[in-house]
Amino acid sequence: MADPKMRILVVDDFSTMRRIVRNLLKELGFTNVDEAEDGAIALQKLQGGGFEFVVTDWNMPNMDGLTLLQTIRATPTLKHLPVLMITAEAKKENIIAAAQAGASGYIVKPFTAGTLSEKLNKIFEKMGLA
Amino acid sequence: MSDFGGMEDLLQDFLQEAHDLLSDVDNKLVELEKMPDDRGLLNDIFRGFHTVKGGAGFLNASELVTLCHLTENLFDRLRNGEIELSPELMDIIMAATNGVREMFGELGQMVQPQPADPHIIAALRGALEGEVPGAPSSVVEAPPASAAATAEATASAPGEPDWGSLHAAVSGQPVSHGEFIAKAEVATESAAPVAAVSVAEANLTPAGGAPAPSPFGRRTTDRPGGQPTSARRTEERGRENTIRVDTARLDQVLNLSGEIGLTKNRLTSLRADILAGKNDSETLHALDQAVSQLDLLVSDLQNSVMKTRMQPIGRLFQKYPRIARDLARQLGKDVELVLSGEETEVDKTMIEDLADPLIHLIRNAVDHGVELPSVRQACGKPVKSLVRLEARQEGDHIVLIIADDGKGMSAERIRAKAVEKGLISEEEANTLDERQSLNLIFLPGFSTMAQVSDVSGRGVGMDVVKTNIQKLNGSVEIRSEPGKGSVFIISLPLTLAILPVLLVLLGDQPFALPLSMVREILPIDRERIQEVGGKETLVVRGEVLPVVSLARLLGWTLEQPPEYGVFMQTAERSFILGVDSFAGRDDAVIKSLEDFKPKGVAGVTTLSNGQIVLILDMKELLSDLGMRTDVGGSSRMLDFA
Repeated sequence: MADPKMRILVVDDFSTMRRIVRNLLKELGFTNVDEAEDGAIALQKLQGGGFEFVVTDWNMPNMDGLTLLQTIRATPTLKHLPVLMITAEAKKENIIAAAQAGASGYIVKPFTAGTLSEKLNKIFEKMGLA
Repeated sequence: MSDFGGMEDLLQDFLQEAHDLLSDVDNKLVELEKMPDDRGLLNDIFRGFHTVKGGAGFLNASELVTLCHLTENLFDRLRNGEIELSPELMDIIMAATNGVREMFGELGQMVQPQPADPHIIAALRGALEGEVPGAPSSVVEAPPASAAATAEATASAPGEPDWGSLHAAVSGQPVSHGEFIAKAEVATESAAPVAAVSVAEANLTPAGGAPAPSPFGRRTTDRPGGQPTSARRTEERGRENTIRVDTARLDQVLNLSGEIGLTKNRLTSLRADILAGKNDSETLHALDQAVSQLDLLVSDLQNSVMKTRMQPIGRLFQKYPRIARDLARQLGKDVELVLSGEETEVDKTMIEDLADPLIHLIRNAVDHGVELPSVRQACGKPVKSLVRLEARQEGDHIVLIIADDGKGMSAERIRAKAVEKGLISEEEANTLDERQSLNLIFLPGFSTMAQVSDVSGRGVGMDVVKTNIQKLNGSVEIRSEPGKGSVFIISLPLTLAILPVLLVLLGDQPFALPLSMVREILPIDRERIQEVGGKETLVVRGEVLPVVSLARLLGWTLEQPPEYGVFMQTAERSFILGVDSFAGRDDAVIKSLEDFKPKGVAGVTTLSNGQIVLILDMKELLSDLGMRTDVGGSSRMLDFA
């Protein structure tokens, strides 16, 4: 299990969804969670430093999740950040686009704490944190 | 009892946010009709349905997910230019939006939504397959085999994408398991135009096929493009018990209450000093300072708390363009509702109580005010008519304006109608000026149309609009010019929590009267009182006003004739209230008497000296005496109607 104090940024324009993700993360023991309303705000927060994990929605105004992901991967200081994409979309084009942009994981709504935990652990494994 | 054990909080949050989203989508749809190719709009609407779908999934509201999913896919096609937006398609979309709204209503009652009207679902599916007139036959490019396969593998197990294989497939790394390749072949063969859609649907609709019609046949009348307004009525929801407050405002409240705590500590220590006999000038000065500071802090706190209740009226306004659009379409009119001043902040309770009167006035403007396009053309007016809904703050009042550029109202016709309906007599009608005549439409039982069209309401008349506005201590004014249009001006106090009052005395007993009803104060000269029909009256600047003693209204015995009169105006009448003396004016914080409410008392407030004062409800007091008929009966009654 990764450090429960790990600082996680949850990005979604729908506050109910941020709350859901936050609650699920809490169930898994992660309490150091911050929120951002869209990709642009998220990027600002990330550039402030201190975050170790990003959970982001895809469809958002101003800057969508995919652009956020691409920007993160193109920014030297952020490119190592694990990014988990959350979306209601199970379409192949989207999943491929996410993979190509370098997403660390992809999770389709709705999901349970169990699913989320599995995804997170897979990512942690890859990062050698497990 | 509830389908949402343990998720009620989440459900409330979801509904509040989703309702806002849907209203936004509604408005964007209205705009989209004007600019069918606007990609930004299409994207926003797509995202609206997408977001609702995502949230609904967590609530297991599968029917809502299905409906949103289909609509969202339709917008995906639209924004990619694969389908063209036709009026027929717009009707389907509007019906789907109504369906979503109805489901919100069901969720609000803690039940899982019933399946959507099969007609809507079928129409959406048809539209997705390009079966809408005017749409080019759409074919989705078959995706590359490996991609299709991976997505298939991903999507077929919900929430279980085989990320490793996917990444391998995408990055062109060799795939080890043969099963994967086999699937790829199958997928290529079956790459039908709607492959992507059907794959996703398989996950979302547990039953597989189209949802079964509702066992109650509930929505059979709600056909696409049918009567959206009637559908909306079923969604009337109860009051919201939650409020969204800017955190900066809450922080301010927190900060102030902290400061007050500190000042209280200071006062406590000063009290100890004073009780111990220390009353030198330094201590008293410190006391004076502490009390003044507390004074300032408390009024700041009151203001801040009040502000937490203030909400931008735009939240209310945003529902209206769609209502106006639906109604106009139904009536064959071309109407645009123009909003302005959405950022104006109004007390939350007031926003809720304004919803119905405003809907009524907007419906009234579209239904009765605006002419049919042919008539407008004949008059040389632009075919499209503008209905303006505006809010702004003017001093300590909020002003709302509903203006149309329609046919206006004729004072002549309104008078004739009122006489015909037996609401006023011919003689009374002849004495009315323009403004008084227009105000006749607020009388119960008045309607200018020979036939009340089914759209203008649920048996609610303009009198109810007026009553509702008055309940909020507000007033309505009409201006109208035949041929040019009508304007309704609603004026409301900023808040309902603080009531400016005039304190009058009866003997030593103070009573509070709402200051908004007080026009002026005058001494009562016994010699100028005239008896008219056995009632005492006083002529003020040519107007004959009845004099009513407060003592008599309260059922007290009159010890001495009242020395002063308060010229009071309520909506229905004007009169002079006889009192003994005055104690000044005050901003009363109303405390309601919940379990024990004497007639004629609106509530109580506490004066600075700690004395408790009754705030009088003049309307109730007067009705007790049967004043409606004998006070200011004739034309005066209409003056302020």
